[in-house]
Amino acid sequence: MKRSTRKLTKKIIYQILALLLIAFLFLPIYQMLITALRPADLPWKSPASLFPEKITLQNFKSAFDLVPRLPRYLLNSFIYGAGVSIVSLLVAIPAGYAIARFRFRGRKPIMIFVIYANMFAPIMLLVPIYVIMKKFGLVNTYLSVILAGSIFTIPLSTWLVTSYMQTIPKAIEEAALIDGCSEFSVIHRIIIPMISPAIVAVLIYAFITGWSQQFILALTLIKSDELMPITQGLYQFFSRSSVRWNEMMAAILMSTLIPVALFLVVQKYIVRGLVSGSIKE
Amino acid sequence: MKRKAVPYILLIPLVVAFALFLVYPLYKVVETSFYKASFLNPFYRQFVGFENYKWLFTFRLFDPKLSYFLSAFKRSLLWVAGSVGIKVVLGLLGAVLLNSKYLIGKKIYRTLVIVPWAIPWAMAAMMWAWTLNSEFGILNSILMHLHLIKAPVTFLAKPSSAFITTFIVDAWVGLPFMIIMILSGLQSIPENLYEAATIDGAGDLTKFFKITLPMIKPVLLTVTLLSTVWTFNSFDIIWILTRGGPIRATETLPIAIYNISFLMVRFGGIGKASAMTIAQVIFVSVIAIFYIRTLEKGVEA
Repeated sequence: MKRSTRKLTKKIIYQILALLLIAFLFLPIYQMLITALRPADLPWKSPASLFPEKITLQNFKSAFDLVPRLPRYLLNSFIYGAGVSIVSLLVAIPAGYAIARFRFRGRKPIMIFVIYANMFAPIMLLVPIYVIMKKFGLVNTYLSVILAGSIFTIPLSTWLVTSYMQTIPKAIEEAALIDGCSEFSVIHRIIIPMISPAIVAVLIYAFITGWSQQFILALTLIKSDELMPITQGLYQFFSRSSVRWNEMMAAILMSTLIPVALFLVVQKYIVRGLVSGSIKE
Repeated sequence: MKRKAVPYILLIPLVVAFALFLVYPLYKVVETSFYKASFLNPFYRQFVGFENYKWLFTFRLFDPKLSYFLSAFKRSLLWVAGSVGIKVVLGLLGAVLLNSKYLIGKKIYRTLVIVPWAIPWAMAAMMWAWTLNSEFGILNSILMHLHLIKAPVTFLAKPSSAFITTFIVDAWVGLPFMIIMILSGLQSIPENLYEAATIDGAGDLTKFFKITLPMIKPVLLTVTLLSTVWTFNSFDIIWILTRGGPIRATETLPIAIYNISFLMVRFGGIGKASAMTIAQVIFVSVIAIFYIRTLEKGVEA
């Protein structure tokens, strides 16, 4: 009897704490939702009402009037995301294969460098990257942000491929090698199909990062409105004196759905890759 | 083809990418830190030796005690301490909670907890800016409904509250990563350890300090170090919420670097910004050494 009541109190306390945690994590998301759904002509109240008094979908339409280039920004973000994920894969698959499957001189330094590279942020290399891009005439092009952005996704991408590959037995590749397949046709015919879950994880991880986290790179490298990613595009409207919050939040909501949905699909692989990051043999 | 050459060929793309966009830029930062150079006139630069490094410790702006660089660096350290502190404490609490057998609906909670992770930082910052709005934001409204405050708070208008608010927002952004990583550490603890402790009559707190904490120490250490670096590098959140203001209260080192390189061009910005960047690289590298050492011992150890 005493024991079961104690269990019940515990259950209730844990439930309340979990709800408080979710409340903290969803506070701005909730604010975004109720603002996006609130009629724009309804005057603001202070203090704000905690629940939407009236609901409309009009803001999702008028967001396109407020931000006329919204579809363009979304397309640009898609291009940045796709570009970064392609570059990351092209680098990460061969590198991950080499680190996971070969014992060669310089292997450990390469691994350590990959981990070290993961600690760099755009702000540290912004000026030289700008100068390099300027030299190659790439400032204000898609390519500049894609190339510069990939540097910050390549480390984790390589790590994800390596750690996934280490969980796959070598036997099949070895059999193929004995049968006279070359190393490169082994990659092409056997490795790539086998590690497809890791490839999907890298693809989506790099895509989301390219889509989302290129704010400072774009801020520096992209000047023309036509090439801006969604974050920079919306920031322009945000930094003006009077923000039309209803349409703004509707626009943010629409442009956040894709990365959030994709992320929920692959988070398991990303966590696995991050956790299995041991350099021990 | 010789088999020995294969791994090196496979690594060519990685090495080229790193060389071009990481090592070379880093070399450029080191080089530029010895020159007087600015975006105003990119073709002119003058070798000044250690002048820029001297500048780090001599140039003062408003602060009578510390140089501009040192005060930004100090601010960064405090800001990181605040943010990472929240991330670790709430991350640990959240993970233990989501791993507990007493919690109903764990799967739903686990999915919900991840959501903020996927929101672009810049978007998150804009959402927070509106949530924190002193007149119409929902946070003030909630606090007033709970009778915790009487009048609306202007979170981002005052130096000290802006400082605290920005690092709380940064903690919000990084919390899902922490919870999920620590959770995966908790899940690897064998259940029978707890069973044995229960038989020995250990209470929940004893179990937490004697079993849970020692078992997840490696994971906890790894994610704390990683998060320290990422938080130290944080730019988007502060830039969008306050741009380093009010009165430089949130001007952390990355913001200061950006300001000096792109805004204070007249000072001969990029040479000085490069010297500041070197300080940041050194800080990050020191943490990286600890991080790599922890990994070498093996996370699963």
